[in-house]
Amino acid sequence: MFHTRVEILAAFDTAFIWENREELWEGFKNTMKAAAIGVAGSFVIGLLMGAARAQRIPVISQIGGAYVEVIRNTPILVQIIFLFYGLPQLGYRVDAFTVAWLSITIWGGAFNTENFRAGFEAVPTRLREAGYALGFSPLQTFVNVTLPIGGRIALPSSINTYISVLKNTSLLIAITYPELTTVANGIQANTFKTFEMFAVLAVVYLAVVWTLSALIRLLEARLALPERV
Amino acid sequence: MPEIPDWFRPVAEYMLREGLPETLKIAAVAVTASTLIGLVLGTLMTINFLPLRSVIRLYIEVWRGIPILVTVLFIYWLPAFELGPFRVQMNAYASAAVGLTLWGSAQVAEATRGAVRSIPKEQHEAAAALGLGWIGRHVFVIVPQALRRLLPPMVGLLVNIIQNTTIAFVIGVSELLETGNRQFENLTLQTGNGHPFTIFGFVLVVFFIISFPLTLLARYLERRLV
Repeated sequence: MFHTRVEILAAFDTAFIWENREELWEGFKNTMKAAAIGVAGSFVIGLLMGAARAQRIPVISQIGGAYVEVIRNTPILVQIIFLFYGLPQLGYRVDAFTVAWLSITIWGGAFNTENFRAGFEAVPTRLREAGYALGFSPLQTFVNVTLPIGGRIALPSSINTYISVLKNTSLLIAITYPELTTVANGIQANTFKTFEMFAVLAVVYLAVVWTLSALIRLLEARLALPERV
Repeated sequence: MPEIPDWFRPVAEYMLREGLPETLKIAAVAVTASTLIGLVLGTLMTINFLPLRSVIRLYIEVWRGIPILVTVLFIYWLPAFELGPFRVQMNAYASAAVGLTLWGSAQVAEATRGAVRSIPKEQHEAAAALGLGWIGRHVFVIVPQALRRLLPPMVGLLVNIIQNTTIAFVIGVSELLETGNRQFENLTLQTGNGHPFTIFGFVLVVFFIISFPLTLLARYLERRLV
């Protein structure tokens, strides 16, 4: 075993990674493009649906609840493939990029709905009552009281969802969207530079994921509520 | 009530007969292995010995940080290597199970660490007073109590792993999604219409029927036990 490992280390070809830097960079950009839309989209969906769920707005709240359960209890990979092959059958012509951002947005939106709902519901009733006592309308109370406090409570868990959204872009290999995993896996399948390509994948994903995790810890300390609620 | 079309019955039967058992088998292996490895690593992590803690922390952060698909692909493409007297070459099935286990055990380890930490130190002292050593204290007293707190996240993990078995589709394991995809391709070749909406919709429905009751169970346990 030691023998094998020495061979692998000796054979690790850093120059090969450098030679393929442009292709890998393109893949990384595609990953980030899909992830950026996915994060922004799931933020908007989560905020609106989470608010509707927490405020128990009739109909929208129930639809939101069903949406969350369906997405959370089915595999995202099947959702991606369902959209990719199913939408054209319904008459919508879609390319891989559209399905890429759409599928991860729908997925992240469902998880974020739960994050924001939990955050808004964690705001104590007495704070909202204080808002009403000041003559705020329900909407004003939400914007001025529930949103800033509940939003802070929801922030760490929502960043965790964004991390998952980013990691889920790797599943887009199934619809051959040319993101980082698809590109690196393609290169190694043709050249047998397995260790080089997976080293790139591990380093890139861990760098992004660990940075975001560190951000959670930083924000948790910074945004800790001045008054314990 | 819409009619069930003729083509659907054999397709669904094939998927449930060939694909579903594979899905459940991979999930069972991965959940069992994840639980065992995760419980041990998580408990070891509560020992106040920095090098050991750091190594396990690294294990957790690496396998949680890398997308499961990337781990599975890496194991799958790994060239054959020698492990003592054995020559190891991972097939697709084993690659999926091992990849899921690396991720799952990291999740269990993190949850176990918290659960074991939450057991009051009087329990440790009482067990020590009975003459139990570190291993005896943990195996007979501390971890069994921690398991109660671990039950809801463990059911959640089961749901996650069942859903993530679909990753094995990418490397060609005949699990539920792969068998569905095969039927979709066959129908496309034979009739020109692969019925992707119905077939992949059916895959979604099967996963939902399995996962939703488990999700409700996890929620119930969380309210009951914590």
